[in-house]
Amino acid sequence: MLPKNKGAVMKNKCLIMSVLICVAAGFAWSQETPKSMVETYDALADSILALKRVEEHFVRSMLDGHRHGAEAYMKAGDYRRAAAEIALFASEGDNAIGGVRKRLVEGGHHHHADGEAKGLYDPGFVVVTRKAKQQALAASAALLAAKTDDERNKAWQQFVAVADSLEK
Amino acid sequence: MRSFILLLGLLLVGGCGGEGESRAKTVPVKARPDAPFHFVDTAEAAGLRTITWCGRPEKPHLLESGGTGVALFDYDGDGDLDLYLVNGWRLEGSEVVERGRDVLYRNRGDGTFEDVTREAGLGLDAWGCGVAVGDIDGDGHPDLFVTNFGPDLLYRNNGDGTFSAVPDSPGIDGWSAPAVFFDADGDGDQDLFVGGYVEATLEEVLHAKPTLSWKDRDVMLGPFGLEGLANRYFENDGRGRFVEATDKAGLTDVGEYFSFAVAALDVDDDNDLDLYVANDSNPNYLYQNDGSGRFQEVGLWSGAAFDVNSAAQAGMGVVPGDFDNDGKIDLFVANFAQDSSTLYVNAGDCLFVDESQPRGLRDPTYGPLSWGGALADFDLDGDLDIFVANGHIYPQADDPPPTGTSFAQPNLVLANHDGHLQDVSRNAGPGLEVVRSSRGSAVGDIDGDGDLDLVIANVDTPTTLLRNDTQPRGAWLLVSAAGAHRVEVTAGGRRFVRPYVSGGSYVSASDPRFHFGLGEVERVERLAVRWADGSETELTDVAVDQLIEVNR
Repeated sequence: MLPKNKGAVMKNKCLIMSVLICVAAGFAWSQETPKSMVETYDALADSILALKRVEEHFVRSMLDGHRHGAEAYMKAGDYRRAAAEIALFASEGDNAIGGVRKRLVEGGHHHHADGEAKGLYDPGFVVVTRKAKQQALAASAALLAAKTDDERNKAWQQFVAVADSLEK
Repeated sequence: MRSFILLLGLLLVGGCGGEGESRAKTVPVKARPDAPFHFVDTAEAAGLRTITWCGRPEKPHLLESGGTGVALFDYDGDGDLDLYLVNGWRLEGSEVVERGRDVLYRNRGDGTFEDVTREAGLGLDAWGCGVAVGDIDGDGHPDLFVTNFGPDLLYRNNGDGTFSAVPDSPGIDGWSAPAVFFDADGDGDQDLFVGGYVEATLEEVLHAKPTLSWKDRDVMLGPFGLEGLANRYFENDGRGRFVEATDKAGLTDVGEYFSFAVAALDVDDDNDLDLYVANDSNPNYLYQNDGSGRFQEVGLWSGAAFDVNSAAQAGMGVVPGDFDNDGKIDLFVANFAQDSSTLYVNAGDCLFVDESQPRGLRDPTYGPLSWGGALADFDLDGDLDIFVANGHIYPQADDPPPTGTSFAQPNLVLANHDGHLQDVSRNAGPGLEVVRSSRGSAVGDIDGDGDLDLVIANVDTPTTLLRNDTQPRGAWLLVSAAGAHRVEVTAGGRRFVRPYVSGGSYVSASDPRFHFGLGEVERVERLAVRWADGSETELTDVAVDQLIEVNR
């Protein structure tokens, strides 16, 4: 039984080999990297950085969805579901998203490599900082444990403050 | 022993008040009065000499770190706990040099065991990982499910001391680790959940090289960098045949996280069984049952997926129990080294609060790498103490220069003092001085003296059998109530709750009966057994220091 990612590894190896052959060919006729390659890499960089921005937009849309979901459930008086939406906001999505994030991290993609090293972000997190995650989860727990409307409002405001702080 | 069981049969109670017969207590040499706990390793004298193998000494592949589990169950119905020990393989270089066989040990009832593997029709030589016990066909004889690196195997207990392998066994063909039998859909039979860990092939294991750098030495890779293996769930058709129903039940392993431990328990006290899955290096899962066998994952918002810092930990084992005596089931989760084990206290409404630090759990459990465990009242004073089995995964921890840790690690006993834990391991008898790289553990009254003993599976070394010789601080009661969801006892004005738990620890199965330490009382005022359908059987004025069987 081959591991599932063996095919992908082979593809990557072929791609890397092709690039290396091109680079070797370039060096064969001059002492500088050919301009066409610089331009190609530059265009590639645009795409890579654009993808990173797309990733951030995607995660922000997901967070908006969970925030609005929480708001709707709060208005409907379904505090359990509101708390669940807040927790999904804190975790940047459910476990299925967590699985995707795990795959990205294992593949070497860290949206905030520097921030992770400093302990500011959990591995693979894009928008929600570790501190914001903790505060939002605390708000979710407080909402679940709340017995009065005052306590619920306080928990909700706690979450709104966290969510607002993450908006650009 | 058989005559005792016959006598016990006369005491069967159902719905009416009554009291049972006191069980004869064999009293071994007890601990010094100033020592809170006293455990003695009697494995060798008891005849438990099998070495449980797990790969090569240098452990270049993650599979070689997992070790094995153990089950305590009464396979022959003679009233005492027998032992099933799962075994792995021994490797040298890239060769398999020994396929360790699983062993069934029959408890002779005199403190010793005999190997009855062959007579019982067992002795699987697959690379074993874990074990679950359940009565799949409702014939009253406990059956066995063994998880392997490779196809898992279900054994039907024939009721005559032998087992038969079930063809087309449910399970995972890969590295499955934990498994649990439980009645998920409330139809009266035992369904099966199996946890997958990582994708791996034997070729990869045999030719693995250490590629990860840890404290300036090369160690095995994983689990990050390896692919997770999805969990699976199988529904029992009532006749002991299983059909996969993972997605239908809402138990899809959406994150394909690295699952290492599972327990079935009623976290929200609504009389159905929920499921907790401890995941290595990922958030833990808590699946809430809607009563019909359909589950919703609520770990992320219930507080039981992360620690107090909202961080996912590396869950290796899970032990449920009412730690703070408030009637709600709490969760002890054993984690990797350089991270505390976690005590999730149940705040009600499916909400858990990590109270590891204020309860005194953090400091003693921060250093070691923890696996199996038990929440058990070892001194019978009326609250649940904690046992933790420890052992590192990297044998390179022992290479110079010193790393501050070691492959073999002391196990821990933490005494519960009014909800606060104290590490008493160093004053807990010679059994706690036995230092190995421990993995699965199971708890139960092995010698029939009323207190709880432990059996621990170790990596590449023989099993440890910790006979509990602690000076008892109170009376005890052991309740056998097959099909019960919860047993509640009131004694001396105190209330004790023992919820039904299946599975737990690390890839192991403990005695499923309900054990109570009661403190200094002479009688139990009230004993209430709640059954799966919500009905109750109540007994009053029950004698202590006995095994009592309650039937519906």
